[in-house]
Amino acid sequence: MRVVHYLNQFFAGLGGEEAAGHEPVRLEGAVGPGRGLEVAGLPVDVTLACGDDAFGEREAEVLARLLAWIEEETPDVLVCGPAFGSGRYGYACGSLAREAGRRGVPVVTAMTPDSPGVLAAEGAAYVFPTGSSVTEMRSVLPAIASFALRLARGERVGSAEEEGYLPRGLRTNVRAERTGAARAVDLLLAKLGGDVRTEIVPTGDRVAPPPPVPDLTRARMALVTEAGCVPQGNPDRLPGRRANAWLRYPLDGVTSLGADSYESVHAGFDTTAANEDPNRLVPLDVVRELEAEGRIGALHDVFYTTTGVDTPVAAAAKFGQEIAAELHEAGVQAVILTGT
Amino acid sequence: MPAEPLELATYEVTDVSMGSGVSFDAGRLVVDADTLRALAETEPAIDRAAVHVVRPGESVRVANVLDAVAPSVKPDDPETAFPGALGRLALAGRGRTNRLEGVTVLSSCDLVAADQLEAVDFPAAIVDMAGPGAERSPFGSTTSVVLECTVRDGADAADADRAIRRATLRIARELASATIGAEPERVEVLAHRDRPRDDGLPGVAAILQVGSEGPFLDTFLYGERMEGLVPTALDPCEVLDGALVNGAYEWAGSRNPTAFYQRSALIRELLDSDGERLRFAGLIVALGYLNTAAEKQRSAMLSARLAQMLGADGVVCTTFETGNSHTDTMLTVRACERLGIATSAILTETNGGLTDHVPEADCLISTGNEDELVPPWSPERVIGGAEGLESAPVPTWAYLGANSQTGDATWTAVPA
Repeated sequence: MRVVHYLNQFFAGLGGEEAAGHEPVRLEGAVGPGRGLEVAGLPVDVTLACGDDAFGEREAEVLARLLAWIEEETPDVLVCGPAFGSGRYGYACGSLAREAGRRGVPVVTAMTPDSPGVLAAEGAAYVFPTGSSVTEMRSVLPAIASFALRLARGERVGSAEEEGYLPRGLRTNVRAERTGAARAVDLLLAKLGGDVRTEIVPTGDRVAPPPPVPDLTRARMALVTEAGCVPQGNPDRLPGRRANAWLRYPLDGVTSLGADSYESVHAGFDTTAANEDPNRLVPLDVVRELEAEGRIGALHDVFYTTTGVDTPVAAAAKFGQEIAAELHEAGVQAVILTGT
Repeated sequence: MPAEPLELATYEVTDVSMGSGVSFDAGRLVVDADTLRALAETEPAIDRAAVHVVRPGESVRVANVLDAVAPSVKPDDPETAFPGALGRLALAGRGRTNRLEGVTVLSSCDLVAADQLEAVDFPAAIVDMAGPGAERSPFGSTTSVVLECTVRDGADAADADRAIRRATLRIARELASATIGAEPERVEVLAHRDRPRDDGLPGVAAILQVGSEGPFLDTFLYGERMEGLVPTALDPCEVLDGALVNGAYEWAGSRNPTAFYQRSALIRELLDSDGERLRFAGLIVALGYLNTAAEKQRSAMLSARLAQMLGADGVVCTTFETGNSHTDTMLTVRACERLGIATSAILTETNGGLTDHVPEADCLISTGNEDELVPPWSPERVIGGAEGLESAPVPTWAYLGANSQTGDATWTAVPA
């Protein structure tokens, strides 16, 4: 088992506030609170440490160095902190936890629930809540050591409520005492009695429509679709369902999406008619006419495509944000979004 | 005159063994693989069949699983079991039915290898009898008789689909037929009675959502595809007694296998509660996975109207599969609430939450996060063809019935 521990300058014994600009360092074995982890049964192989200001001021560079060390170690678990009420330290722990977690390293950290590190972790790590005072060290270390040990062994971890970590924005499966049917009847009768309860609180991402485009004849327009429209043969292998990516294809000099050049790989509808005329998926033919007539300013030089079927909502939301960012960057003011 | 009740005679199976001749005696079920195989092979579109028994704790994965059926027969007229879908047409839900408890018939066919479906349309569908995924499917903890089918080369999709379904029902009927003449463990008399609407109890109806989109994506009512169905009231006992048969084999976790209709936890809960804490106003079947906005709104509106005609103060809405059908559920919730009928709805979640939601849907039952991964497992034996899942974590949606949106499982999701 390989265990890596992250500390700030103070807990690593590199100095106090005057050492807050300390470069990232790699130390062998357990240091400071790491010894407490060892006492609690978690042997620490490598300690990484960095000054809190150095982390905050040169985050990208510092993270790259810390992550390179972590990659060399390929740890079974990374422990960050605990940071308690220290905002800068908490932020460093949460940010490193996020990046390592996204690279597949199980990570556990601990800090106050209002620490900026909790948000920085973005649900990619287990964050245990602590009080603001370092005096809790004695109780916090054994708790995170035993949890980290289980993560390192690949053992199943329970829900936020069972384990005590802060909810990561994910949902895990647990057994209920009664069937879904019995619970549906129970909750319906409670609701009829005025007690409205739910097991799912939707996150609710409702987008207010923007104001109308003031002058379409001067607007830059783009075409975006979830119809799975791709060049014939699907050269970039867009999945037919559960898409894991979106793609962009050039429209420079293209006036119409011919049936010999484009097709739909969408698995959610019968594509026979669409494949006879892919312009019905991405209405390039009509938009080119409007462009020629001067009724729209210009057409963006690529179109964006993905397949919208069985795609997890989180993935779809991410595609949307990424495509919107590109459109925004390119000065696009209007989009025709074709859904299927 | 009130309808004749359903007399559900239950025969508990405590031991299943392979032997010569199908028989049942004092809880011991003997399965004759050759007899059952030959029964399955009477279906012209089935080339070869094999019959296996799988038990909890065995290192076995059943792959490419299609349906699950509770073995049942009408002892007074065996030819009317699963009327329309297998046997002669007769009203289900009346008279004696013999049902085996503790054993299920699972059907398995690699529809991709058989050139019946594209891989993209037939996602992994499994039941694990041991390992980290054993507890996911309700069928991982009870013994099953597995019918493994190979479809005749070049068989038409509708013929292959029908043949597999009939073979599965045939085996379910044959196993239960061994109980004819034996003493049941218990007999329940089940009936849906019209109660006075002014008895002070709230009227509660259920809207059971089903899908019917073509071969391998259908639900059958008395043997007929349900596509085009106008929301319809059924006798709940009909559904418990084989009037509804599944033929939809897309996402396994949120699939409604036939056994979930036969054992319906929702119908049983409503029958049990009838006259105690509610008045069971009735059961409505309605389509989900409808193609157009107009079709979806029409079905939602007519379901709500029918619930109102039944005198429902509240309805429980179930959901068929995921994605598209979640919009059907949400529109149904909205249509009911707008008529003043309170709703609860049963739905599975994903890593990204719900596919659709309306503000009126304020009472939702979670059947779990279908995207959660189960650690990899290498069983000693895989029945039904390879799924290629041995080295990778398996999403919960691959486990048959794990996220049952008819409410027939106990999984739910909580913050993590």
